[in-house]
Amino acid sequence: MKRFTAYSLRVVLYLFLVAPLLLFVAYAFSTRWFFPQPFPVEWTMTTFQRALNDSRTLSSMAQGLWIASLVSILSLLLALPAARVLGLRKFRGRQLAWLLLFLPTVIPPLAIGMGLNILFLRIGLAGTIAGVVLVHIIPTLPYTIFTLSSSFARFDENYEFQALALGASPWQIFLKVTLRMMTPSLVVATLFAFLISWSQYLLTLLIGGGQIITLPILLFSAASGGNPSTIAILSLLFVAPPVLVIAFTARQLNQHGNEIREQY
Amino acid sequence: MTTVNIISLNKTYPNQSAPVLKDFSLSINDGEVIALLGPSGSGKSTLLKLITGIERPDSGDIQFDGSSILNIEPNKRGAVLMFQKSYLFPFLNVEDNIGFGLKVQGASLETIRAEVKRMLDLIGLPGIERRKSGQLSGGEAQRVALARALVTNPKLLLLDEPLSSLDTSVRMNLQEAIRNIQRELGVTTIFVTHDLGEAMAMSDRMALLLNGEVVALDKPENLFHRPRSLAAAKFMGVSTFLSGDQLPVKCEVTKGSSPKIFAIRPEHIRVQKDGCENSMPGVVSDCVFRGEYVEYQVTMDTMIVRARMPMPASMFPHGERVFVKFPREYLFEVQN
Repeated sequence: MKRFTAYSLRVVLYLFLVAPLLLFVAYAFSTRWFFPQPFPVEWTMTTFQRALNDSRTLSSMAQGLWIASLVSILSLLLALPAARVLGLRKFRGRQLAWLLLFLPTVIPPLAIGMGLNILFLRIGLAGTIAGVVLVHIIPTLPYTIFTLSSSFARFDENYEFQALALGASPWQIFLKVTLRMMTPSLVVATLFAFLISWSQYLLTLLIGGGQIITLPILLFSAASGGNPSTIAILSLLFVAPPVLVIAFTARQLNQHGNEIREQY
Repeated sequence: MTTVNIISLNKTYPNQSAPVLKDFSLSINDGEVIALLGPSGSGKSTLLKLITGIERPDSGDIQFDGSSILNIEPNKRGAVLMFQKSYLFPFLNVEDNIGFGLKVQGASLETIRAEVKRMLDLIGLPGIERRKSGQLSGGEAQRVALARALVTNPKLLLLDEPLSSLDTSVRMNLQEAIRNIQRELGVTTIFVTHDLGEAMAMSDRMALLLNGEVVALDKPENLFHRPRSLAAAKFMGVSTFLSGDQLPVKCEVTKGSSPKIFAIRPEHIRVQKDGCENSMPGVVSDCVFRGEYVEYQVTMDTMIVRARMPMPASMFPHGERVFVKFPREYLFEVQN
């Protein structure tokens, strides 16, 4: 009885998570689905194909992927040194550094975006990919730094000293020891940065100024348009990359987690 | 292979008033094992950091074979480290761990494979190349760590309490193994420990460290039987010190400006029922059975004496009136 309850609870939970997606699938692959009918009458790929053939859909996806990738790389590069110092060292002003780096999570993005919009317009970054990438780094950085620094706090520098004494150069130590030890949290940090950038609407709109069109921008305009099929298709495309990325990394993360556990 | 000269090193960490190392000098012969024995905070680990180049000294010099290494990059010095924890890289198997040093120095794959095999034979663990570092026992991991350090053919091997986290039986085993491997390869070694027995068993000479200074440097047997100074004697487990007028025996106490101090090892003090010549009365205030010996604490008029009586010996219970004898031939003089 107890097992049955747990089992049904689990099913309900999964349904709760999956139901909206199922609804999207139903809308995306059907035509003429109206009220009294419980299920779509006619299943078809044409709506989906039409949406995919629309050049705006594909280019917005490509642009979003490109921006999210750049944002991930840049915010990792910025976060690694900061996280290392914050995780490993005690120094005067450490709390202040934390506070400053975490400010973007508490300050409303609208305020940041408005201010930066004026600045970026002046220096010619508004409406460019570079401008959007830069502004996306603001909300991603706190997450990448936090993920990596908590991992650095558990990192033992003696591994690096060992490598140093064995003759490894600073670069070799960084690539062969530090990065390898940090891999699990690097994956998580990249994931955060990618997802935050990929789903960013407000900052892209403010800085992109209608010239940089990513999928969320397209999705919002479609949502106000009111064609359920289009909304469903765009939503599915919007959800696909994160789901794929998580599905891929979950296995990786598990493996690395096991390796780390074996060590301690 | 390498003689090491450490010449009047001074090191004070920022934000600390007391120096960690004060005018520290030490010469190590080729192929010799020097044990550094000292309480925590005596500067042992700092010395190792200065030698490997993780820290820089404020003044002084460190020389390998007569030439200074202070301006050589840490990764080119050829001084390898082994810690209490093995620090094997968790993402590499045993073979890649041992081969790490050769690989970063650009050795060919065949060389690495052959050398790793040779080292595994040497440490007595042949055939474990493919094992992950997480699958090794504590003793095995330390053996592999030793192999990883020695495969690069280092000039100097630095051991920083490498055995203190292991069980006694494993530890004994590894003491012997490390000593044999060290002899076979003839690598000059500095062994840092706070375990007196281990220091004596492993080293050719022992350096006793206190507050960043060497208080004594000699062969273990010399330091054990006849430590010259009060500090050294205390290090070596001597706890009974007598000034001239406390002696029951008439030693040749020359009347000088400072009173002389005599010491005696606890194994040489006799605790017995009957008084005799050269003995003094006292009361047993503690008695602990330790197997090979019985440890007594006897309270006397002017002092408390700790003695070890070898087994078999009659046990005197707590509160028993006894006589303590200091055999004259075992009394030695120490400098204050």
